[in-house]
Amino acid sequence: MRTWYFSEMAYHPAWKEGIERGSLRVNFPNQAVDPVEAGKLLNRYLDEFRLCDEVGIDIMVNEHHSTATCMTVSVPMALAVIARETKKSRLLTLGNPIANRPDPVRVAEEMAWLDCLSGGRLEMGLVKGAPYEIAPANSNPARLMRRYWEAHDLILKALSTHDGPFSWEGEYYHYRNVNIWPRPIQQPHPPVWMTGMSVDTGTLAAERGHVVGTLLSGGLAKPMYEAYRKRARELGWEAGPDRFAYAAIIGVGSTREEGLRRADQIADYVRTAPLVYEAFTNPPGYNSLAANVAILKNGPRANRIVTDRNGDQIDHRKATVQQFMDTETVFAGTPDDVFNQLKAFNARMGGVGHLLFFGQGGFLSHQDAMSNISLFGKEVAPRLLELGAPETAAAE
Amino acid sequence: MSRHITVSGVGLDVEERGEGRPLLFLHPGEGLQPNRPWIDELARNHRVIAPNHPGFGGSALPDWFGTVDDMAYLYLDLIRELKLDKVLLVGACFGGWIAVEMAVRTTAPFAGLLLSAPLGIKVGGVLDRDITDMHGIARSEFLKRAWADPKNGEIDYTALPDTELAGIARGRESLALFGWKPYMHNPRLRRWLHRIDIPTRLIWGDQDGIVSPAYGEGWCREIQGATLETIADAGHYPHWEQPEAFAARVAAFSATL
Repeated sequence: MRTWYFSEMAYHPAWKEGIERGSLRVNFPNQAVDPVEAGKLLNRYLDEFRLCDEVGIDIMVNEHHSTATCMTVSVPMALAVIARETKKSRLLTLGNPIANRPDPVRVAEEMAWLDCLSGGRLEMGLVKGAPYEIAPANSNPARLMRRYWEAHDLILKALSTHDGPFSWEGEYYHYRNVNIWPRPIQQPHPPVWMTGMSVDTGTLAAERGHVVGTLLSGGLAKPMYEAYRKRARELGWEAGPDRFAYAAIIGVGSTREEGLRRADQIADYVRTAPLVYEAFTNPPGYNSLAANVAILKNGPRANRIVTDRNGDQIDHRKATVQQFMDTETVFAGTPDDVFNQLKAFNARMGGVGHLLFFGQGGFLSHQDAMSNISLFGKEVAPRLLELGAPETAAAE
Repeated sequence: MSRHITVSGVGLDVEERGEGRPLLFLHPGEGLQPNRPWIDELARNHRVIAPNHPGFGGSALPDWFGTVDDMAYLYLDLIRELKLDKVLLVGACFGGWIAVEMAVRTTAPFAGLLLSAPLGIKVGGVLDRDITDMHGIARSEFLKRAWADPKNGEIDYTALPDTELAGIARGRESLALFGWKPYMHNPRLRRWLHRIDIPTRLIWGDQDGIVSPAYGEGWCREIQGATLETIADAGHYPHWEQPEAFAARVAAFSATL
């Protein structure tokens, strides 16, 4: 299991006000941001990313828009800085919300440029994006995935075509001269990742051999991983752990108490992230028809009920660290505790090759974040590298 | 009577009731809701033909279909297929936009055009929002703005079978497909409204919080001879909220044609 550290570079000084208004996203006016403070925080967060390279773990960056929960507005912009400040870490965009981007060729150019700049260290996540990203991008939520797949195909073709230019006359995108300069070091293109929470995503990712990542709960992740393995087998290949990623909040400390406290502070991120004005939670067409029927019947959170290992429902807005640990949203404690929890998780999931280590979320101080990264990198990550597919899964 | 008709390769679930002058009723973004009283009210004096738009109710959305242009050509083909003549073309809200896209293409099959709080054109400047962002407000706020009495728009989803809920969910997705960007209008349509050379009447609910009567006046400036009437105690869907008054206005307009 490889470790990829990420943080969303939150602007937590505005959280209290956003929580009082009932929305941290889209319609939360940006007068709540002090831009000078924002600049200080961005520099601090970039220092935390740089530490990952020193302690030997990889790096992931994502992006959100119009929100106090995440100041990374552009994955390539953040990675451009990080690529210059690191030497060994692989660099993952998870991801590029390509169905919300009007110009996929521009995305391909940015990814090729980053691959060159970093000496071939780029891993390229192409994602659907969260429902509340539709409004800031003003992208049409209907037929979103149709647009996603056309952008996906065009980006991969742009990265891997070297005798261009070629033309593209599709349903959504039109170009007469696609011929990106520079081209990526990694051929035919940097490794591709997707994200999802459904069995369908698992199947579709398997058909392309992409890495698939998910978050929030092991209960949701497992069926998706299993669908991937099944589809890969149908297609004649065996999907190893390196095709699967899982994002979790992790708090490590020199004592169990310190690890739990750190996890609790980072977990504020998960508690606040769903806080968005109702209108932006489920744009029509974003979710499947079945999910929307369930939402009409049972209310807006019907398709996002997370259960712990006993099948009890957990409300992410109010959950305790212990409850989050029961849903495998959080792993926390001493380095030994966290390693043992992750080892057990890996076995339950049938082998997960990538841990997306959410190690800073809002109010966790710089000192704590640095210590969290450092302890994890030195004392947990090397042991995780030894974890492969559990024997039970291999025997299936 | 409800029947399934295939026109230009597109299957349509069509409600057909009454006798007299053909009246093509193009439903709003909220759907046809054929069990509510307005079709029967209109059918007292007309042969009402009310299709579920592709992607709404029981009409499937073909893969290739996805613009209001498609919708306009489809319904012009439907009129030809049914051999209709001297049709009263009625469109409400989103259906009004479709009706106008048909009428700027040809008015030959129509005796008159009646638009109930139509969407479809841009009147104000770049910072003016002519049409309320129905997708940027909570459902409860939408009900307050779209109905004079929000209770009239409430639907008890728990009482509906899954097939009907699926129809509603599909309709919402389809409305987004057709009208997300530019939002519920065609920026070029206003410049072609001069082509409408048949009697045109606009109907507005006096408590419409989605598009204002001032927006209706914008339509009247562009369509020669168009007049606007308001219906009391109605919001954005006068046919839904005041079905009898709405049908009476339609009948009165029809009688002048």
